[in-house]
Amino acid sequence: MVRKGPGSAAGRAGAMPGGRALPGAVGALCRAMPPRARLVPEGLRRAKLDRPQATLDFWRLLYALLKQIHGGKWSEADAIDTQIRFVKLALWYQGYGRPELYRLPSDGSAGSRELLLAFSWLLHRISLLEQLLARNRVRTGDETSVCMCEDDLSQSEQGTTEIAPEYGPEDRVDVRYLQWLNGRLRFQWRSLHAQHQEQCKLLHKIHLLTSGSHVDQILGHFSVTEMDLIRQTENYKQLVQLLERETMQLEAFLEWKQLEPVYWQWMETVLDNMAEEGNMCKPQDAHIEKSSLPKVTSCCPWADSLTGQINKLSRDLMALRDQLHELVTHRKSAWEEKVKARAEDLQKEDFAATVRKIQEAVELKLLDLSNLCAPKKNKVHGLCRLVYRSKHSASKIGFSRSVSKQPAPAVSATEVIRELQMREASLQRELKQLREECRQRLDEIAEGLDGVICISP
Amino acid sequence: MGFAGWRRRWWRRWAAERSGGGSWSGWRPGAGASCGGECGPEPGRSPRDPPQPPGWGSRGCRERAGGVRQRRVLCVHPPCRDGQDDEQPETEASSKDGCESRPSPKELEELELLNRALEKALRVRKSISKTPLEAQVALAEKPTGEGSAFENASEQQVPVSGRDVPVSREARAVSKKPASMKKPSPYQLRAPYRTDPDVKKTQRRAPARCVSQGPRTAGKSSSKGAVSRQGKSHRPASSASDQGVCAATELQNAPGSSKSALKEQQSSIRDSSGEGNLVAAGRQLIDAGKKSCGSHGESSRKENPTAEGGSTSPRTVTIQQQGCQLKLPHPYRKAYSRNCRAWERSRLCQTSADAAAARKRFTERIQTTFCSPMPALSPVEIEEELKVLQDIPSLLSQYVEAEPADHPTLQREYESLLTLEGLQSTVSQCLRKLQLLQAAVESQKRLHPDCTGDVGSCCPACVPARGRACGGAGTLAVPLLWYSSFQELRDLFALKLQVSMLHQEIALQKLTMTELLPVLESEACPEASAAQLYRAIYTQLCEGGKRFPVLVRDELAD
Repeated sequence: MVRKGPGSAAGRAGAMPGGRALPGAVGALCRAMPPRARLVPEGLRRAKLDRPQATLDFWRLLYALLKQIHGGKWSEADAIDTQIRFVKLALWYQGYGRPELYRLPSDGSAGSRELLLAFSWLLHRISLLEQLLARNRVRTGDETSVCMCEDDLSQSEQGTTEIAPEYGPEDRVDVRYLQWLNGRLRFQWRSLHAQHQEQCKLLHKIHLLTSGSHVDQILGHFSVTEMDLIRQTENYKQLVQLLERETMQLEAFLEWKQLEPVYWQWMETVLDNMAEEGNMCKPQDAHIEKSSLPKVTSCCPWADSLTGQINKLSRDLMALRDQLHELVTHRKSAWEEKVKARAEDLQKEDFAATVRKIQEAVELKLLDLSNLCAPKKNKVHGLCRLVYRSKHSASKIGFSRSVSKQPAPAVSATEVIRELQMREASLQRELKQLREECRQRLDEIAEGLDGVICISP
Repeated sequence: MGFAGWRRRWWRRWAAERSGGGSWSGWRPGAGASCGGECGPEPGRSPRDPPQPPGWGSRGCRERAGGVRQRRVLCVHPPCRDGQDDEQPETEASSKDGCESRPSPKELEELELLNRALEKALRVRKSISKTPLEAQVALAEKPTGEGSAFENASEQQVPVSGRDVPVSREARAVSKKPASMKKPSPYQLRAPYRTDPDVKKTQRRAPARCVSQGPRTAGKSSSKGAVSRQGKSHRPASSASDQGVCAATELQNAPGSSKSALKEQQSSIRDSSGEGNLVAAGRQLIDAGKKSCGSHGESSRKENPTAEGGSTSPRTVTIQQQGCQLKLPHPYRKAYSRNCRAWERSRLCQTSADAAAARKRFTERIQTTFCSPMPALSPVEIEEELKVLQDIPSLLSQYVEAEPADHPTLQREYESLLTLEGLQSTVSQCLRKLQLLQAAVESQKRLHPDCTGDVGSCCPACVPARGRACGGAGTLAVPLLWYSSFQELRDLFALKLQVSMLHQEIALQKLTMTELLPVLESEACPEASAAQLYRAIYTQLCEGGKRFPVLVRDELAD
């Protein structure tokens, strides 16, 4: 495998461990990518050399990968300009700031080197490879999510016109229809709850009764899939194949981790090339740059939504601040008076020491709070595998495995339950507040109603 | 029992009086019949509404408590009243002068039909509670009752809104019909009859001994019977499906087992128009409730607790007996171990120093080529920070409220004061942070790649974050979630569902507030229905649709 590109780069860069390491690195990278991405070493090389077909392929590649990361639905049949627009937005979203990329034409005719740079930047910045591996993981266990991120509707920007009402604006909808819908909704929730409870029962049964049978000691018991696998092995041939393919992907990943310095050096040569060429056409670029960034006037829904949230939070916090201000001044003056009145007594009791102790205690108390205000780095997100571990077996297994190396991330149901309870309490409070507000408004309206008295339940 | 008797008595009395040409008291057959037919909210109520709270008619029909008799009473809205305003609660008993002494033949017919239906219902109820095996075959009715059967099967607290319960009983009776059940008595089918709380209770206890220890709803046990029939007729050889009472738990195939039971019913017995809805609704539930547990239903059949009184086929592997000795098939085991080891190695693999340095060099170089005043935070970081701050106001409010107004000692007072001051500074910090975030949003907005054409087209792509938040930021290990008891698992699932439900409720509340309150405030509705509308909206917005206020007409008697 003789490559001209890396070879010349090696010549320029000087101390590279031979041009042969690069193909190995690139090959490992391609094999570690998800199969659906269809990245081949040739593609990367062609991208660097700015071959025409390479650009379209690279746009498609980035589209596929970014869609996987963002969890959206996609198909290869999506129009190229949609794909390009999406990729540009996604890169902007991650904070990629090279203006040349955003200026690339939307028919995908030029700019494969830019795309190559963006791709490498993503590799590092969002750990693209690791994320793809984690997302496409073959799941053999019983999994459930521990965070409620996807539920956070306050942050959602989904269009509200998905279920278009069948009535025109002049038509009237009977409020009883609403009531009926509401009742149905509640019914569905209850049914779902029953289903979940049933599912729990069965899960637990399987976990309990197959304890000790699994190959993996840490897990200890089978999952539902594995139970079914035992009964109907024929249906699961594909699963075994997927597992094997994934193992090969992981081995390629490990290889890549060994060889990656070469890749990054190669990318620097790409930057070098572009810098050289860029020097020649800089004056024109500067001019173009100014004219292509007049975006202040166009409205950006993302910014609007975020601004809305920020404003709401600011309002709440400012109200709180005012409330606190009042409270504190009031209390402080009262406190100071009291202290003055008993100044002599307090001096005898060595009040200063007590004061210091109290200060420390309060600091500790508020430390918890400030931890909550900062984003949690190690919070467990997403799907977790459910594992049953009865109390006595937990002590048996103990720390046998986890002492030596980094322990596998794990979270206990108790913690999750506690967090969920807090979350539930705060949501209940919010709901109650909203209902109170409605009640007040409705009371006002009731006074306007003629001759009717409303007695609330 | 008394009810049917009363009905007949009344009927005879009316007939006698009619023939005698005299006036009769109270009961308006027309009203009764029309009400009995469908006990839903009545659209065409006479304008001279009785002094009862408006909407009572519909509410009464939906009352779960009390028997059918009570339901009837409240539903009555006589079409012709002639100045009788206060007869509602005392309709049958009183002997007021009716205006309508000659009900039309049509009304008579309807009344007769109603009578018959109600009698059948009572008969069925009695017979089923005594001998469940002697199903009322003769009462095979339309499968409209299956809808309610489905409902009944799922959750016992769910209100059956105005469905004709007798019909559902009949449907279930039919489902039992071909069942030559060899199951011992604990597994008797007891259709839940909503108006009789005692019956429900015994049903709840009965399944305690039941095979699958399924949810304690009678509906499920009823479908168990049906499933066993299904097993019998379709797979006589493998009694595994007999034991597959945990088809009740086949999440994939049926919400509750009634769906599978009903499917069989429908396919083998008759065509059902209700099936489509049922299946769709069921599937909805399944999709909503489904976790990534592959073929759950089939594995559940594996569970053959030996408590099952019935026969255990030698072919069935009972998990209880052999659970600990089960072995995964060899190819899978091999693939799994290799896969597991590869994951472990990948997780522990660290970026080498060379690689880290090379990455750093590249990233720094490329960053020098970015737009020069690069904002400090990328859009994704802005969103993350904002997310953290969402809960802060309520949290801080909690802290503030936790500080009492009065303190016993000087020390406590000082502590409280310090806490409040600390909270104050936290609030200021958060406000500053918000300002920074706002500035970052502005600067990022400037860099936003231009969308040619309409703004709407870029909207969907502006939401790339939904899936990303839970990506785990590249951690190469699926975290494990330990639970140590069955109760914990259940609590976990229940809480998650509760939180989701609350999220939705809050969103709906906000939406309905903005939509419905203006309607009331604008007074665009006709006077007569204003009160009802008010009541409905009050219920929806202030009580979550669960409880109703009482509206009392404020009229002074002249």
